[in-house]
Amino acid sequence: MQSKHLIRRVLAGVLSCLLLHGPATSVAANPNAYEAASSGYFRDQDTLPGAYIQYRGSSEGGGAWWGIGPGSGSVKRSSFSADAHLGVAGYGIRSCVSCHQAQRYSLHSSRGNVTCIQCHRGQPIAGIHHYYSALNPIRKHAYVCAKCHEGASPSFATYVIHEPSPLSLATAQEFSLFYYAVWLMVILAGGVFAIFIPYVSLWALRELIGLLSGRKYSHD
Amino acid sequence: MTDNVKRFTPTQMLFHFGLIITFMLLSVTGLAWMYIETAWGQVLASLFGGYAGALEVHRITGLILLAGFGIHVLYTIWSIDWKQFPDSLMSRDSMVFQWRDVKDFFLHLGWILGLSKGPEFDRWSWWEKFDYWAVWWGLIIVGVTGLMLYDPVLTSDYMPGWLLNVALWVHRIEAVLAMAHIFTIHFFIEHFRPRCFPFSATMFEGSKAIDHLRQEHPAWIARLETEGRLDRLRVPPAPVPLRILYFGVGYALIGLGLFLLIFGLANVMLLTLQL
Repeated sequence: MQSKHLIRRVLAGVLSCLLLHGPATSVAANPNAYEAASSGYFRDQDTLPGAYIQYRGSSEGGGAWWGIGPGSGSVKRSSFSADAHLGVAGYGIRSCVSCHQAQRYSLHSSRGNVTCIQCHRGQPIAGIHHYYSALNPIRKHAYVCAKCHEGASPSFATYVIHEPSPLSLATAQEFSLFYYAVWLMVILAGGVFAIFIPYVSLWALRELIGLLSGRKYSHD
Repeated sequence: MTDNVKRFTPTQMLFHFGLIITFMLLSVTGLAWMYIETAWGQVLASLFGGYAGALEVHRITGLILLAGFGIHVLYTIWSIDWKQFPDSLMSRDSMVFQWRDVKDFFLHLGWILGLSKGPEFDRWSWWEKFDYWAVWWGLIIVGVTGLMLYDPVLTSDYMPGWLLNVALWVHRIEAVLAMAHIFTIHFFIEHFRPRCFPFSATMFEGSKAIDHLRQEHPAWIARLETEGRLDRLRVPPAPVPLRILYFGVGYALIGLGLFLLIFGLANVMLLTLQL
C-alpha cells in the first residue's frame, strides 16, 4: 500500500513535468494565498489558479485547447429532453443497441461488462444534455464515473466512452487531435512494414540464391 | 580461424536481456488486456490471476522498463567519447546514423535486386542502427502514453481526460508496431535469414565467429586488422553447454514471440475494437 502511494506521488511529479495545463502555478504565486489554501473539501489541485477551467462551460469543448478536443460534432435535439425516447415506436420491447448501433461497442462494455443503464440510468432515460441528467457534464464525474473510478474529476469525465472511429473523416471535425494522432501512428506503423516486409522477403530470396550457387561471401 | 570477435560488452548484453524480459512480459500482459474479450486473451490473463493482475504486472513492468531506459540514457551519455566530441559521434564505431548508412541502404537494396555489389558494412549495418534507435523512439512514445494511462484519475487532474483517448490509441498502435516488428523483421534478420539460420547467439555470447563477421561486417574486420586491434578482440567461442543454453533460452523467447504473433493475428477479427 505504501509503495503504491509512493508510485502515485512520483507519477504526480512526472506528470507535472509533462504538464500541458493545470496546477503548474505554485500556490505562492497566487496573490490571495488565503483563497488558495485547500479547505479540505477539495483536493489541493482544485484550489490552484486555473483549476476552474474544468468546470467552465460544458467541459466538452476544446476551450483552452484550440478546439482539438472532442465535442465539436453534431448534437441531437433529444439529448436535451427529460425522456429522450418519448414517442419512439415500439420502444418498450427494443434493446438499446437495436437503434444505437454506433454505441454498441466501447471498452466499458466489451472489457468491463458495463451495461447501458449502469451509466444512462433507468427509465425514463434522460438525454445526456438534460439539466437533471446524471450524464450532464456538470455532474457526470460524480454521479457516473466515480461509481467505479474513485476520485473522478470533471476533467476525467471528458474521456470519450463511445469513441468515434479514429480513422473516419468525420472524426477530423468531431475530435481532431484523436483523428490526426491515430492517423500519424498508422502511417508510421504502416510505413515501417511497407518498407521492411518486401525488403526482407527479397533479401531472403537473394541470400538463398547466393547460398545455393555456392558463393562464399554473401555480398558478392 | 575458428575464433570469435568480441562485439558486445557484458553491460550491453545485460541491457538487451533486460529489454527482452520486460518487453515479453509487457507483450503478454498487454495482449491479455487487449484480447480480454476472447478466450485467448482470458487464457493469457489467467497466468496473472485475471485481467486485474495482468494490468498490475503490466504497470510495474512498464515502470521497470522505463527505469532501465533511464539508466541506458545515462549509459549512452557516459559512453560518448567526449575528448573527440563531436567527431566521435560520426566515427565508424558510432551508432549515430551517417550519410554512409544511406549509401549502404541503397547499395544493399541494389545487391538484393542483383544490380550492384553489396556494401561493405563497418561495425554497424543500417538495420542494426535502425533497430537500436527504434527502441528509443518507441519507448518514448509508449513510455509517455503509458505513464499517462498508469493512473487515469490522477492524470486527468493535470490534463483533459480526453487526452487519454488519444494516449490509449497511440500506446496501442506503437506497442503493436513494436511487437510485430520484433516478432517478424527483427527475428528474421537476426535468426531466420539463410546466412544466420537457425540462431545467432551474438547478443548472449557477446562475440561472433570471425568468418561470419568477414562476410557481414568486412570493413570493420579490415579496419581492426589495419589498426592492429583485431587480436585484442579475439575470444574463444563459448563452450558447448553454454551454447546449448543460449539456444534453448533464445528459442523459448522466439517461440513465445511467434505464439503471440500467430494467436494475435488469428484472433484479431474477434475484437470489437476497430480502427
